[in-house]
Amino acid sequence: MRQPHVYHLFLFAILVSAASCTSLNITNYYHKHRQTLDGMQQVYLDAYNTKPFSIEFTDRPFDHVSLELSTDTLTYIYEFAVGEPRLQDTLLKYGYNPAPINTLIKNMRSMECTWINHLDYYADETRHSLIYISLWPKTFDLPFVNKKYYILTYFSQPQYFDADGNLMTGRRLRRIRKINGETFRKINNKVCYTVSAQFR
Amino acid sequence: MHFTAVPPSYRFFLTLLLCGLLSAPHGYAAGLSANPSDTLISVPASSTRDQALDYLLKTKIPDSSAYWPNINRTLFIANLKANIMAPLALYQGTNTNFCGYAALSYLPLHEDPLGYTRFLLTLYSEGQATWGSAHFNPSPSVRRAAGTLRFKGILDIRPADQLWFLVLADHFRSYLNLFTRHFHPGAEDTFWAAVNYGKFNRMIRELFGYHVQAKGSDLIRPDIPDLYDYLTQCLHTGLTYLYVNNTYLHKKNHNKFKGRFPTHFIVLDAIHKLPDQPDMVDIIYWDYGGRTLRQVSLRFLKKITFGVTVCIKQSLPVIP
Repeated sequence: MRQPHVYHLFLFAILVSAASCTSLNITNYYHKHRQTLDGMQQVYLDAYNTKPFSIEFTDRPFDHVSLELSTDTLTYIYEFAVGEPRLQDTLLKYGYNPAPINTLIKNMRSMECTWINHLDYYADETRHSLIYISLWPKTFDLPFVNKKYYILTYFSQPQYFDADGNLMTGRRLRRIRKINGETFRKINNKVCYTVSAQFR
Repeated sequence: MHFTAVPPSYRFFLTLLLCGLLSAPHGYAAGLSANPSDTLISVPASSTRDQALDYLLKTKIPDSSAYWPNINRTLFIANLKANIMAPLALYQGTNTNFCGYAALSYLPLHEDPLGYTRFLLTLYSEGQATWGSAHFNPSPSVRRAAGTLRFKGILDIRPADQLWFLVLADHFRSYLNLFTRHFHPGAEDTFWAAVNYGKFNRMIRELFGYHVQAKGSDLIRPDIPDLYDYLTQCLHTGLTYLYVNNTYLHKKNHNKFKGRFPTHFIVLDAIHKLPDQPDMVDIIYWDYGGRTLRQVSLRFLKKITFGVTVCIKQSLPVIP
């Protein structure tokens, strides 16, 4: 009568797997990988300020990358296999420095980061910007379950938070700020997180 | 619920709804109605950017409007000016359902910016205005909401765009408004603001007087054997809109199961076959405040396209 034990073991494994999803702590994750994540943000910011672009990994093995290259008149969207020579040719063709973008692609793969982008937001009629990083850890990749992403936002200035750590619009105007339709919580004064069903 | 158990008024509505959904793919009815009134469409207006700017400069605009309590006059004028000068930068707002109205705006901002400016200034000053065969008298909730939408990117500081999108959504209704008939805070992200294919084509006809040639529907993809040839022909005929499934075009997650219905309107600007790959095309399209060039396979393009609308000035020939 070994079969019931196998069945129970299987159920237990599912429960553990499900519980592990909810116990993921993005704050701990961020602090553990802070150097790499902050480094990615800085490399992206510097490269973006030279010439705007976004990077998206389109598949779970992180083998295919889609680049959005923004020029004055058009945004070009091209998809490549990682390491494909065509990628380097395209970057050079549109006047991008391949070095930082290659570094980003490598680090994004290692961090399971599926999307990095620059976003504008407005406060008191003034434009501000942030770096938007979406992580897609393996624990959020259960079959038959909608995917979830950790989103990290890097602000250029310290932000305002309420007592619960929710990102607010300002010191005086106490309203929860939404970015991309999501509410964010504090990791530190300039970095926030959320868990989202969409990576962008 | 058995159909006979439905009250007569509801039954009538359900019949209309089913007819609306099912008839469209057959006769391309969303755009090419057999209604004889279609032949009475006025000739579309044309004007220039300079005429629009001149009108904006010379028109006396009140310091504030009793009809639009939350609209900042300075931002309103700056917004109109920006739209006239750079119509491609019009942005629907983050996470809103305004894409249909933003796509629609491409037409007046390029072809008749004076008409657009005159309409919005009249609406601002007098609280109501007429364009084409549509008279707009916005509801009080929409009047209060214009200028207050936040966390939508640059739309936050674009009160004229907020007003324009809200007024269009308030005026034009479709079966999607069955459960969301009235505006409420946050309704811009819901079905209240959504545009289905029939409504989109109707808006173009009623507002701008274009002859609309449409193929497609809200549920079933149009039967176009050679999509590349057809789209190329459409681009030569008039302004071409595509009604697409955006969950594939602008992917936001990696879920295996995606909705199989259209969700987004884009303006098709160009389509070219790649010389060395006959099954691949470069498409250039406008949405989200900018033009994008993207390489896609013709199979992918066919998979995501649920409607093709061509806006034709009356004097131009019609594709058979």
